[in-house]
Amino acid sequence: MTKRALITGITGQDGSYLAELLLDKGYEVFGLVRRASTPSTLRIEHILDRITLVVGEMTDQTSLIEAMEKSQADEVYNLAAQSFVGDSWTVPISTGDVDGLGVTRLLEAIRRVKPEARFYQAATSEMYGKVHEVPQSETTPFHPRSPYGVGKVYGYFITLNYRESYGLHASNGILFNHESPRRGLEFVTRKISNQVARIKLGDALELRLGNLDSKRDWGFAGDYVEMMWRMLQQDTPDDYVAATGETHTVREFCEIAFAHVGLDYNDHVVIDSKFVRPAEVELLLGDPSKAKRELGWEPTVSFQGLVEMMVDADMERLSR
Amino acid sequence: MPKRALITGVAGQDGTYLTDLLVEKGYQVFGVLGPAPGAFVDRIAGWGEAFVGVQADMTDTQSLRDVVAEAQPDEVYNFAGISSVGQSWDQAELVADVNGVGVVRLLEAIRDLAPKACFCQASSAEVFGRPSQVPQNEDTPIRPVSPYGDSKAYGHFVTTTYREAHGMRASNAILYNHESPLRPVSFVTAKIADGVARIKLGLAFELQLGNLDARRDWGYAGDYVRAMWLIQQADEPGDFVISTGVAHSIRHVCAFAFAHVGLDYQDYVRVNRDFFRPAEAEVLVGDSAKARDTLGWEPSVGFDELVGMMVDAYLKRLA
Repeated sequence: MTKRALITGITGQDGSYLAELLLDKGYEVFGLVRRASTPSTLRIEHILDRITLVVGEMTDQTSLIEAMEKSQADEVYNLAAQSFVGDSWTVPISTGDVDGLGVTRLLEAIRRVKPEARFYQAATSEMYGKVHEVPQSETTPFHPRSPYGVGKVYGYFITLNYRESYGLHASNGILFNHESPRRGLEFVTRKISNQVARIKLGDALELRLGNLDSKRDWGFAGDYVEMMWRMLQQDTPDDYVAATGETHTVREFCEIAFAHVGLDYNDHVVIDSKFVRPAEVELLLGDPSKAKRELGWEPTVSFQGLVEMMVDADMERLSR
Repeated sequence: MPKRALITGVAGQDGTYLTDLLVEKGYQVFGVLGPAPGAFVDRIAGWGEAFVGVQADMTDTQSLRDVVAEAQPDEVYNFAGISSVGQSWDQAELVADVNGVGVVRLLEAIRDLAPKACFCQASSAEVFGRPSQVPQNEDTPIRPVSPYGDSKAYGHFVTTTYREAHGMRASNAILYNHESPLRPVSFVTAKIADGVARIKLGLAFELQLGNLDARRDWGYAGDYVRAMWLIQQADEPGDFVISTGVAHSIRHVCAFAFAHVGLDYQDYVRVNRDFFRPAEAEVLVGDSAKARDTLGWEPSVGFDELVGMMVDAYLKRLA
């Protein structure tokens, strides 16, 4: 029998990669999308004819129940979120409603409609915020530092509690930053790759950034969706960190990105205090050893490979 | 000028005790009454002009902004919330909206309209649910086991986040169970006190309870609101465990309560598995050394005195 999957947030970076992966594996793929006068299906246009879109919202319980009824999903991947940390200071209430309470609504829909379905929750390294230890693993205490992080901590715990109390096959993937050419332009990595391409092509002169010394553990989104899928193939649900185990600065990202097109980042990068966050997370570095040990999962794309992939994609797109 | 305080959830047990305390200290108190202030209304007359009842809802942002603007508070105490762990399994969404996102709404209102106010969030020992250490202190990792605990973890972390990121004077009082004659019978201690009183008065013959071996660190609500007032007077905001440091089982509460009226609990208590929770928080015992050292706080009412006080109150109410 063909397996069926429901992906919330299918129009996002991770949703689009996951949809491709599941289609390759022969799944029937359903995607939850918000109704909008302008469709946001840019990232899934190439697979639109092979997937089924269901209209719904994480803030509307009824629509989630209907999505479960329509899809009869064997696997549910909750990737829907207001996913930009910076904006969560501007829209803290709706961030909590979508990223936090939305998880409860979706779990309730699963519990009522198809309790044997397997559930993946996209948790995040932002839950560690003001880190209690380096590197962070599945046992590191949480200390979020943004409304986004707080909402995600809630989503993590409610997933855990529904697993423990109702016996749902529900798992958290604690994903560290994961990037790709499909990353939104509001994220620093994509902002850099896009602007490097524009500068190289003569459309821009400078790149304005916040704190260049911010460090992150950056992986390739394509690798991370593979881990999501592996998690749901386990007999026993559990929580896993997905990370590269390496940390790099925004400065290094700039260096490699500019060097890839033969430029020096020092000539183009300008520091702008506007982009410094109210509370900056400290050293986020993930320990992915549990995922490696139990799921056989490892990242395949290096940091340099990732940066160059992103710059190449923006060069190609903008030179068309 | 008298100090001004805004208390959400004022009609509950803690709100009532805190209003008593603040009125005695000369505060002008604005209390958010909520939809069903019930017996609380009878007490309002006693406070006279020192108390002003206002209406708002933790799920309605504008209503919270309006009461913050009206009260212009020096101190805000957030006691509003759905306080039943059991109910949280059936209304998980609502509980998170009120107890979790509600705190975001309130903090945003304060940040905008009364940014200098001190804020005290009634956090809960339930955020520790399955604790990695016993007793728990302010550094114990948060790890709830119920939708209620999850929602309180939400409110707790929002409070620390707004303190750390926006420099607000926002504190968490991590309250362990605190009881009093004002506890409604939906809480186990009050249910026991009520049951004992009924049995003693010949109005009932048995008392049905859930897990008798669940253990909690039970203190007196009057002591705990005093701790929260002290938190607001501290030089620095922070997180404070408020607890007695001693855990007693529900069985122990029964033994004391029945003995208080000369009965043996074993003759009357029956275990009913329907009252078991899907997940039970484990040994929750708080280490309140920080509150004792930095605030000079300590509980004044002991466990046996508390149980006796509650049984007496129910006897009086029913007689």
